[in-house]
Amino acid sequence: MTGLAADRRTFLKGLGVLGAATLIPGCATSTKSPGSSGGASSELSLQSNLSSEQAKAAMENLVAAYNKTGGSQVKLNTVAAEIFRTQLPTYLTSANPPDVYTWYAGSVADSYAKKDLLLDVTSVWDSMGNYSKAMQSLSTSSAGQKIFVPTSYYWWGMFYRKSNFAKWGVTPPKTWAEFVAVCKTIQSKGIPPIGIGLGDTPWVASAWFDYLNIRINGAPFHRKLLAGEGDFTDPKVKAVFTKWREVLPYFDPKGKSFPFQEATSALLAGKTGMFLIGTFFADSAPKDALDDIDFFQFPIIDPAVPVAEEAPTDGYFASKKAKDPEGTKKFLAWLATPEAQNIYVQSSSGTAIPANPDGKSADTPLVKKGKAMIEGAAEITQFFNRDSSDALQPTADAALTKFLDKPDQIDKILADWQTAAQKVFKA
Amino acid sequence: MIRRTGYHVAMSIVSFLWVAPILWVIVISFRSFDDVAANGLGSLPHSFTFSTYKSAWEDADEFRALINSLLVTIPAVLLSLGLASIAAYGLARYSIPFRRTILLLMLMGNLLPPQILLIPISRFVELIGYYDTLIALIAVHVGFGLGFYTFVLHGFMRDLPREIQEAATIDGAGPGRIYSSVILPLTRPALAALGALSFTWIFNDLLWSITVIRSGEKMPVTPALLGLQGLFVSSWNVIAAGTVIAAVPTVAVFLRFQKHFVGGLAIGAVK
Repeated sequence: MTGLAADRRTFLKGLGVLGAATLIPGCATSTKSPGSSGGASSELSLQSNLSSEQAKAAMENLVAAYNKTGGSQVKLNTVAAEIFRTQLPTYLTSANPPDVYTWYAGSVADSYAKKDLLLDVTSVWDSMGNYSKAMQSLSTSSAGQKIFVPTSYYWWGMFYRKSNFAKWGVTPPKTWAEFVAVCKTIQSKGIPPIGIGLGDTPWVASAWFDYLNIRINGAPFHRKLLAGEGDFTDPKVKAVFTKWREVLPYFDPKGKSFPFQEATSALLAGKTGMFLIGTFFADSAPKDALDDIDFFQFPIIDPAVPVAEEAPTDGYFASKKAKDPEGTKKFLAWLATPEAQNIYVQSSSGTAIPANPDGKSADTPLVKKGKAMIEGAAEITQFFNRDSSDALQPTADAALTKFLDKPDQIDKILADWQTAAQKVFKA
Repeated sequence: MIRRTGYHVAMSIVSFLWVAPILWVIVISFRSFDDVAANGLGSLPHSFTFSTYKSAWEDADEFRALINSLLVTIPAVLLSLGLASIAAYGLARYSIPFRRTILLLMLMGNLLPPQILLIPISRFVELIGYYDTLIALIAVHVGFGLGFYTFVLHGFMRDLPREIQEAATIDGAGPGRIYSSVILPLTRPALAALGALSFTWIFNDLLWSITVIRSGEKMPVTPALLGLQGLFVSSWNVIAAGTVIAAVPTVAVFLRFQKHFVGGLAIGAVK
């Protein structure tokens, strides 16, 4: 009977299974909804996973602005991110699915396109000619259709407190050698140089893997590896970990026990020196500390490798079963305009950058610097799970956590990783 | 004397360990966001604020979520206990053929992990057109509770003296009258105990609500609390405040039925 009261994790695990199983054809008997009405309906439903206070308010502003433009009225429905993630397959395969969804660009969207669940939005892209090439390819399915409308992105960087760097007498490094020197200096002051937060958020370690891989082997190799065309036992992958071992002694030993949000507190309190993290961490910083925060680009290791940066892209896709495809496309086209993206960026936490090149990002030095870094990059990657799949992420978490614990067992760890990844790719 | 002191000291420590997480949540719920962000969750409070309760109440729309929870919980508890007591009455007081098998069959449903039934239920609810309604949620809770409640009530009713029922029959009461005027009043302690238990179970449920409900405004309080967690960053102080608010109804019910609850636990303890 305690089944009714089992803890949340077990529940969500079960839901993950539910979500996965509903995607298997045959298991998901598509049901016909009794009340499905043909023809154009006047209301579009937008299922959103942006449940935090600020983001939710920004979404409400956005929808209110669209509803004033006339056309279909949009009804925003916000659910917790964790529920959304596990229930998305159920939403999409249900008989009467919501029309538009918040989601991420790249292969995590393509995996639904492969199951033929997404609306072809190629005609929306007719009005989006000014979007960058990278955005276009991220929004195209493997079948060559446009299935996604990107609206904003953020960046990853090595964040630090300016006042602490000044106090320790170090300047932001550009190369790997300089980076190691900075680590040595900070450690000599008795502070763990590199902060990390892996308890509950083990995926944060993937940022290190991603960056070392794109700096040493380049973005094309990284993408192929994550798409299942490479092999984790490749000596080139091992080189990533050999490099990582050079700085392993500088990692905060406490980082394994707390989540990244606590790691942010540690960085701000000066208990760690630097932190490789996405800009979303700024939401968990006290407002008075924000002016003191700066970042530097992940150090260059091999100057011959074209510089790539991680810029995860967010946006929207629509269900193939959308009740009013034309109205849905009209809404998506509006979301792609600079006006719509400005509304969202201004009322959200402010570190997101509009995907439309004509959109205005927040006018802070930090955001300007981030935007310049991404625009100057030769290649763009997103993040481990977004470039591969949510199913591959746990295999990376397991391998990287083990590596941080027992770096000398790297050969066995990589072999195990390859076995686990193979299972995911074959599924 | 020393033994007694030792006992009290040991028990105080144990009770403190038991209560500490709850106290910790309450302390966090009064801290400001900047305090938590700057000093970490584990540190001693550097601030005191009620604003967390206000933001939990307004941002998570906890009032509406609590109403939804009660709209589901109260009918579900009344319905499942009502149906279970009728079933238990029939099975315990009359020699229905295969009654043992029926009882075991009902109980068997509870041995299945609920996760197995997620897909069938979500599809079935959609098929009959009740997806995304509170009625679906009530039906699911009644269905799941019925087996266990019937089993417990059956055990209790079976032990009521045969003579009471015989006396009522001689006085001319039919099965319906015996159920409502004789058996049900005698079963009150068990019903109260089960009522408090089922209230807590249904109120605290998260799995079924997110399986059969999709709209944010129909979500009960548990998924609403989950909604306070952001995609990356969570305001733990607000979540703590929301949790404290969400705990009030169950604590109130427990305090109200506490006497029966303890009494109910002893049911069948002495034969």
